[in-house]
Amino acid sequence: MYRKWVATLLLSWACLSLSGSAFAQIGDVAVVVNPENAASNLTLTELRKLFAGEKRSWAGGLSVKLIVRAPGTHEREVLLKVLGISESEYKQYWASQVFRGEAQSAPIVLPSIGLQKEALTLYPGGVTLVDAKDVKPGMKVLKVNGRMPGETGYPIH
Amino acid sequence: MFRIMIVVTTVLLLSTVSLGQATASSDQETIRLLVQQVKELQEKVQALEATQSGSADAAAQPAALQVQQEPADQSGNSRPSLAAPPGLHELGGIQWRGFGEVNYKVLDQRQPELSTFGSTPGSSGNFYTGDFSLFLTSRINDKASVLSEITFSEQPEQLFQVDLERVLFKYDYSDHLRMSFGRYQTGIGYYNTQYHGGRWFLTTVDRPLITEYAHDGGPLPTQAVGISTTGLIPSGKLGLNYILEYGSSDTNRPRVDGSPGGDDESNGNHVNIGLFARPDAIPGLQIGGSFYHDNISNVDLHESGRFGQTIVNAHVVYVGHGIEFLNEGFLIRHAEEHTTTVFNMPGFYSQFSKRLGHARPFFRYQYLNMNPNSIFEDILLRCGPSFGVRYDLNDNIALKTQLDHTHRKGKPNLNGLQLQLTFAF
Repeated sequence: MYRKWVATLLLSWACLSLSGSAFAQIGDVAVVVNPENAASNLTLTELRKLFAGEKRSWAGGLSVKLIVRAPGTHEREVLLKVLGISESEYKQYWASQVFRGEAQSAPIVLPSIGLQKEALTLYPGGVTLVDAKDVKPGMKVLKVNGRMPGETGYPIH
Repeated sequence: MFRIMIVVTTVLLLSTVSLGQATASSDQETIRLLVQQVKELQEKVQALEATQSGSADAAAQPAALQVQQEPADQSGNSRPSLAAPPGLHELGGIQWRGFGEVNYKVLDQRQPELSTFGSTPGSSGNFYTGDFSLFLTSRINDKASVLSEITFSEQPEQLFQVDLERVLFKYDYSDHLRMSFGRYQTGIGYYNTQYHGGRWFLTTVDRPLITEYAHDGGPLPTQAVGISTTGLIPSGKLGLNYILEYGSSDTNRPRVDGSPGGDDESNGNHVNIGLFARPDAIPGLQIGGSFYHDNISNVDLHESGRFGQTIVNAHVVYVGHGIEFLNEGFLIRHAEEHTTTVFNMPGFYSQFSKRLGHARPFFRYQYLNMNPNSIFEDILLRCGPSFGVRYDLNDNIALKTQLDHTHRKGKPNLNGLQLQLTFAF
């Protein structure tokens, strides 16, 4: 009797723990590129340089095309966190980058996952941030610091 | 056994509590996602409506391209830019932006000073518009683009002069080789590389005098026509970059002390080599320097009139987490040809600012010590602090106020108040 009761409790605990890890993965944001892109891993520093427009081409010479989500989304908040700046500073930063000639244009701003996927199809060098749970077939997810979204120690969330 | 039950029950209770928290956060997350999805649907409807009733250009583009680039959407409106009218800052593939300013400057002397703007002899306070800049850029393909900056500058008697501050054909071969051909701002140090026309970008009302545009009285050859290349040097976490420039600057500068005339340096071709590091360990930090050399001619001061001009720069800059800390030192060396006459003229500035909400208070100290026998006899020794605040009303409009105290060799100290309304559109 006791054995059954203890087994039930342990089983419940195991289920709850698994649910907990699933909840932990909700906040992870994936770095997504065109499936043709040869890249498979980025460091956090490389990611910051990429979205700051400092790194403008992929290994092999393909031009980077930055695609970002609109203000107010989780992906946008994560992007600002990675860059270490506020929304207002982000806008001023890109205005300045274009004005200096450091960038041909600011990142494309898209309001939905569907448009992000479409943009990645259009631009072979495209890269964007997507909530890990929203990643769709046809999107290639890159490792960051050697880890995939959902893995312990994944740094983008 | 009873003890085991107590332990297991405790674990279960704790798990339940944490589940409750996770559920609450999950509910919030779900609500956020639902709100987001509703927003997305609204935006899609707006986009479809815009496509149906909009321009032929917009209809001809793929959906993913019917968005505006970020700087064009700085209205302070947090709504996604897809909802904005398409082509607001783009005409036939040419992106443009404009920058303007309205200033008021009052001095405690009736002599023109603090650079050349707003200084009418006999009056201690003046309004002026400064520079009105139009910036145009067009992408030719993934690697090539064209960039230009046209400025309408206020001259004495409220006349305006049009100047093509920059016009560049840019070709980015790779991260290691980016080339620009045309009129550029010389890569002497940090400030002149980082800041161009459009004082909206500056924290302060004006540029430090050592990096002021030559056509506004600054001592450096700030602009040139030629070839400028830059790029990354493979250096791992050090993040080294180089700058190599070859061109003609042909500097012509008015005198900052208000005396009539100016100096036409008739520069020969210059070489400029710069190196700077942006280490991975401290994002926002830049340490570097540059070496510039050309020959200048000025028969007004010396019979031979020909000098070798060498300008050495070193800078340490940190911009990040709301902090801006700029430090640059310069040594301008003029060596007269066929004589032993050499003028070594140092200058530096240090500027610190910190963002506090919409406000950014700043402090700057600058120092220049030019030789009275050199072509910079109008500058001589001048040094002193400036402090003030920039207040951003929104993403496009900023108000600035700045107090300056300048010690001048052989002249009374100068105190000034500058007010500036600057805007981007």
